[in-house]
Amino acid sequence: MAVASVSHGGYSGAMTEEPDQLYVETRELRIQGFLLFMVSDLVLFSSFIFAYLYLRNSGQGWPAGGPKLDIALAAVNSIVLFGSGATMHFALENWKHRNFTKFANWIVMTIILGAGFLTGQVLEYMHIGARWSSGIFGASFYTLTGMHGLHVFAGIIYLTVLLLQAAQGKYTFTKYTGLTLGTLYWHFVDVIWVVLFSIFYLL
Amino acid sequence: MEATVAHIERILAIVFGIVVFFVAIIALRNDWKSQGIENQVFKIMLGLLALGAILGILAALGVLIGKGVA
Repeated sequence: MAVASVSHGGYSGAMTEEPDQLYVETRELRIQGFLLFMVSDLVLFSSFIFAYLYLRNSGQGWPAGGPKLDIALAAVNSIVLFGSGATMHFALENWKHRNFTKFANWIVMTIILGAGFLTGQVLEYMHIGARWSSGIFGASFYTLTGMHGLHVFAGIIYLTVLLLQAAQGKYTFTKYTGLTLGTLYWHFVDVIWVVLFSIFYLL
Repeated sequence: MEATVAHIERILAIVFGIVVFFVAIIALRNDWKSQGIENQVFKIMLGLLALGAILGILAALGVLIGKGVA
């Protein structure tokens, strides 16, 4: 069996070039399990989104109470989050190309952009002029964007843990299912925001 | 002041939106022939990422603006 030497960020060890059959089978199951988790999360978001759309179309004159959302801030904030999806993609691609330094740089960039998005959300909350208790709009807006913000926050922690694990040598360049799942999660968070951005700012 | 900040935000959104759109499209093109369930999901998500970038650009341009949005 071919053996290659790996050395990056404090990790140095031997690894096999070809993953064994057991790893391949386990990997498929882990990915399928994670996809099921994402589907369950999608159902959670969908429930709130459809409730919001139903309430929105039930009442006359929307939004009630007249809160004004800042489209310029929301647009640039959205692009920041979508950009983080691109940087996360670069991170995984660099891992596949066995470049730990670039992988680490891109994942750090992703974490920074994610934190930037959360900062933008806080700024939006400060200027929106609606409260959780001020009506259907406020309750829907804060519930959905807050829930999404929690996912982004969890994602930042998740990516930080992945980066630390990668630096400690938990993943090799042929066995990196955890990094693939982290990338899937981050893309999922991005895609949910596409929907939320559309229903709150574009409809 | 607020108008200037909003103007800068719109320009940033448009410029970086274009970058993100092309990055997503190129990544999608490169991954197009990839096999495996995770890569199929990646393709869908990259497509939606490109769509999100377009929506962000259109919002920043003022083409798409919803009710109650300033």
